[in-house]
Amino acid sequence: MIVAGVDVGSLSGETVILRDGEILSYSIVRTGADSALTAKKATDEALKNADISFQDIEYIIATGYGRVIVPFANENITEISCHAKGANYLFPTVRTILDMGGQDCKAIRCNEAGKVTNFAMNDKCAAGTGRFCEVMADVLGIPLEDIGKTSLEAKKDAMISSACAVFAKSEAVSLLRSGVPKSEILSGVHEAIASRVFALLQRVGIESDFVISGGIAKNIGVIKKVAEKVGLKPLISEEPQIVGALGAALFAKERYKKG
Amino acid sequence: MILQHFENQESGIMNAIRENPESASPRKKLALETARLGKRLYSNTDDLVWAGPLIPFDLLNAMDVTPAFAEFIASILVSTDAGPLFFENAEQAGYASDTCGYHRMLMGSALKGMIPTPKLLISAMSPCTGGLAAMENLARVFKKDLFILHIPQKESDHGVRILADHIRDMAESVSSHTGKVLDNDRLRKAMENTNKTREILSDIYTLAQQVPSPVNGRDLSNFGIVLPLFFGTEVGIEIAQAFYDELKSRIKANRSGVPGERIRLMWLQNRIQFKNNLVKMLEKEFNASIVVDELNVITWDPIDPEDPYIGLARRSISSPLNGTVERRVKQIVKLAEAYKIDGAINPCHWGCRQGTGARGLIDSRMKEIGVPVLNLEVDCVDPRNFAEGQLITRIEAFMEMIESRPSPW
Repeated sequence: MIVAGVDVGSLSGETVILRDGEILSYSIVRTGADSALTAKKATDEALKNADISFQDIEYIIATGYGRVIVPFANENITEISCHAKGANYLFPTVRTILDMGGQDCKAIRCNEAGKVTNFAMNDKCAAGTGRFCEVMADVLGIPLEDIGKTSLEAKKDAMISSACAVFAKSEAVSLLRSGVPKSEILSGVHEAIASRVFALLQRVGIESDFVISGGIAKNIGVIKKVAEKVGLKPLISEEPQIVGALGAALFAKERYKKG
Repeated sequence: MILQHFENQESGIMNAIRENPESASPRKKLALETARLGKRLYSNTDDLVWAGPLIPFDLLNAMDVTPAFAEFIASILVSTDAGPLFFENAEQAGYASDTCGYHRMLMGSALKGMIPTPKLLISAMSPCTGGLAAMENLARVFKKDLFILHIPQKESDHGVRILADHIRDMAESVSSHTGKVLDNDRLRKAMENTNKTREILSDIYTLAQQVPSPVNGRDLSNFGIVLPLFFGTEVGIEIAQAFYDELKSRIKANRSGVPGERIRLMWLQNRIQFKNNLVKMLEKEFNASIVVDELNVITWDPIDPEDPYIGLARRSISSPLNGTVERRVKQIVKLAEAYKIDGAINPCHWGCRQGTGARGLIDSRMKEIGVPVLNLEVDCVDPRNFAEGQLITRIEAFMEMIESRPSPW
């Protein structure tokens, strides 16, 4: 049985294809203005990687911010449920998940079956999300994939407001002008992100094992700060960006079986 | 312009019922009566008194003084075309954009001369000081007096007596500002009407508790806040009776408010006052029904028509909006148990410190009885701050979570 999960986020789109419950292939593409097109692009790429055709897929579940506009999906389920499901598949002992995506971050508690028992999401602000990191990388002229490593060179954190991404950007510009090293600004940015997401985690209660998923899980600077605050070593999968799509694919498998 | 809005609303509802008598519903009856009240407010014919929550509107009705309920008028203005402009007016005049939308709306519309001038304004010290400040500002705009009612936080015989005397002072103040005299027979009759309405309300809430509930998520929205405007009047009794009859007939026909009701929800504090799809989405996608609103509750005993001030005082003090958070939380838990809810949604109305300050305490007490609470961040009044997509994700995830767990009951 071949099923797929498609996660259309605000910054990236992912598709995971499962064959008999095992990951057959996956893809990660950049989100364009058209969510339906992003979903198609991601799915086409995953199909190509698996060397199968669209007709081979028996059931598809869409998730993420653009989940309702995936025209070829059979159903849609929120990314909160899908991240819990996906994390539980990868790490069956997981009880707390922090998903840091493009435009929102979520703290999720789940049980041994991967079912959500509580969750909290960021409020109306992009601070603590992938977009925030992108903006900061852009201001500092450092490639996004290098900001984590660069921040670790800092001797101390610059003070960055965690209240608003736009204000934080202005703060970073002023700090740059006053000669504060980029590494310290980035370290401050990561501290601000960690402090916001830690508050979310505390709202749902932290219990081990603790998993971090989403694009920001690739930023070692943020991970270090979050781990320090939480006091637990986070489990991170090889490809943390596909956890939501994986969860959607697992739901697809369940729902298809149920008929 | 606003008068026109109410006239159109009234004639629209009446025509619709005339053309199709079967379309008459208690919700339409309530909308019709609120349109008529709105017309009176804007017709320049009645003696108006602006009043905030917890003020005994039945006393004003007994004096033939029309209560202009501040938050109610704000929520009506939101639905007019000029709504967004009024918010802008308030902000241009210096009112912070993160303060309560009800109060911003009132200030913006007052500054544009779009709300009717009263003879007097009355505000209580509770539930919120922001509301009191808004009324002080309005009094200044209107160049009218403001009467402040001090409502004790705790219910004690001493506190009740003090408030009863204070309500008497309030009535005298209304009298001296409007020239209307409070007639004892009319007051007695008004209290009898209030008691009758209370009795029907109590029956309505009992019916709503049935599983499945005869109410859908829209029937009783804003009910506990708007109906007090008609306390003391025959119209109040008629509205309540219409709702009771409708629910009774649904039960008789074995018809639940939401077909195939699967999830029962409580809505905390106030509803979103502008048009949105959330309640319908809950019904359509999840067969979920908001079976109870936190403010749809009767916390007071019938009022003795021979000694009304004591009963009115007890009623104001007993409101869940007054007093400690602990008392409010107890009331919420009681409702959760009575209505056997699966979850509660707290909009955490933007700018409302009184409403959102209790968030953590509500969460933890509800957790003890196994009922999860979804905290949103919604400006319930200003649609310019409404991000429906984000809210839908949170609400859908909450529903998925409820569906995957055993019922607390």
